[in-house]
Amino acid sequence: MRTGAAAGHQGCYHEAVCYGSDEELLAVVRPFLLDGVSAGEPTMVALGERTAALVRAVLPGNVPVSFLAPVAPDTRPTVAIRAYRRILDTLVADGARQIRVLGELHPMAFGATWDWWARYEAAMNRVYDEYPLWSVCAYDLRATPAAVLADVARTHPRLVTVGGRRLPSPGYRDPVEYLAEPRLAPVDPLQLTPPVVELLDPTPVQARAAVSAADDGRLPVDAVEDLVMAVSEAVTNALRHGRPPVFLRLWVGVDRTVVTVSDGGSGPLDPFAGLVPPAGDAPGGLGLWITHQSCSHVTMERAAGAFTLRLTAGNPHFLD
Amino acid sequence: MIDQARADQAYGHVCWSSDDPAAFDSRAREFVDEGLAAGERVWYVTAGDPTGRAAPRRPLAGLPADAPPGAVQVVALAQTYRRGPRVDPSAQVDAYASVTEAALAAGYTGLRVVADVTPLVRTPAQLDAFARYEHLVDRYMRARPMSALCAYDRRELGDRAVAELACLHPETNAPVLFRLFAADPGRAYALTGELDPSNHELFRQALSRVDPPGPDGRLVLRAAGLRYIDHRCLLHLDDHARRHGLTVELRTAGTAAAHLVELLGLSRVRVAGAR
Repeated sequence: MRTGAAAGHQGCYHEAVCYGSDEELLAVVRPFLLDGVSAGEPTMVALGERTAALVRAVLPGNVPVSFLAPVAPDTRPTVAIRAYRRILDTLVADGARQIRVLGELHPMAFGATWDWWARYEAAMNRVYDEYPLWSVCAYDLRATPAAVLADVARTHPRLVTVGGRRLPSPGYRDPVEYLAEPRLAPVDPLQLTPPVVELLDPTPVQARAAVSAADDGRLPVDAVEDLVMAVSEAVTNALRHGRPPVFLRLWVGVDRTVVTVSDGGSGPLDPFAGLVPPAGDAPGGLGLWITHQSCSHVTMERAAGAFTLRLTAGNPHFLD
Repeated sequence: MIDQARADQAYGHVCWSSDDPAAFDSRAREFVDEGLAAGERVWYVTAGDPTGRAAPRRPLAGLPADAPPGAVQVVALAQTYRRGPRVDPSAQVDAYASVTEAALAAGYTGLRVVADVTPLVRTPAQLDAFARYEHLVDRYMRARPMSALCAYDRRELGDRAVAELACLHPETNAPVLFRLFAADPGRAYALTGELDPSNHELFRQALSRVDPPGPDGRLVLRAAGLRYIDHRCLLHLDDHARRHGLTVELRTAGTAAAHLVELLGLSRVRVAGAR
């Protein structure tokens, strides 16, 4: 039996609280957490250091709220999904009727990599829907760009007001619709310079060799290996499931390597492709999911007659 | 690292994909000369009649005229591989083992074979048996002083058939992207090159022709020379291990394979550092 606002709800109950002051945040999350504890529901917090300290300070000393490691700047959405699913699987197996999670993203997620976190927020409504999860996502109005807040409203079915009222989000869109929208990620400044490698219709072997050859030791070995793997998968998918011509372009920056693989097709049909492993035999789905785990940032852009996957190894936060 | 370095050393089992008789003759001559210089007995196996009573399949242009008496023996293909419509893999290895031991007993340092075996792999059943034999004889060569230049006519057999045979040799001129061969006289194998969607089926077939591991149930693949392996091949390795009740130990210095095994939750494949 679920308690609180989510009582009677099946699956993931996904809310956002957009707060303007610490007091506003605490007024919403303190009862959320304590009510969960009172109901015997597993209750978890995944906040940054400062916010976690604020919350901890208003909770009784021995209250069984679990404080998880906060989302780090280099956390990847697919990795977060895997980690949460492991936790949720365990708790449900142990008999949890509802699991409460209060979370926030690292502020760096609101920059150059926001597009894949926006996709994550939309996908949450589906990929956690098999669990009795009540998730409250906290966004600090003082530190969150307006464009991000617009996506928050469109990816969270419910918004919690500072007075604790819970309202349907007027801008909410079903994740399938939201994820299918054309999404333009910020152009990496490196892309405005001539690529150091440009290949037309490369084989996966040629693509892997090009990425390996471009390695000048600036990035850790495992990051380069992961990029080689991601590029190989991207080229394989483009050749198998996309349309010619396939172009590979590669740029090398001081702290990152960026590769784009484009083809003349329209990209994967599955709107959740990349974020979760394919449920069935979705073509290329597993490779795209692995790509999302392997790179520090992945964008998928659709334009008329072109689908472009951009893969970054190294520091993807070029806006910060 | 020492074991792997030894595993990668050439031990003289070469697959020669032939579409140019002159190039084969040149390579065969080189191979024979190396053997004679090392004090080995040479068997030159030919589809033609070595007595000269009938026209050989091709002139024996790869043979030196000045070899020591008895050091080079020209042998008919039909006499060397004489067991029914297709080769008997184990019996054929035994036959070559006898010839090798006889060469050693006669004072030679080993046996070196040059054989154009194209006529023995013309049907799918022949190819399957011969590929299995190539694996078994590869293991024998890893352990004993036998070496071989196995020639296959690509024009007759096609690229696919030659690839199935070439990938089971430590050395080849065929454009195969990976190779699976004996790493030591025990039951470890070396896996080198790259594994991606272009050769999944070839890899699956090669794996099916490899002997199962020893009693500990571990199939050890020394993969220091493996530049790339994709998730599909790791899934296949895991499936292969499950079906045969074994575990696969992939020894590679790379981190990507371990990352994939963890991501995919593969329980039958273990990635260990190369050594």
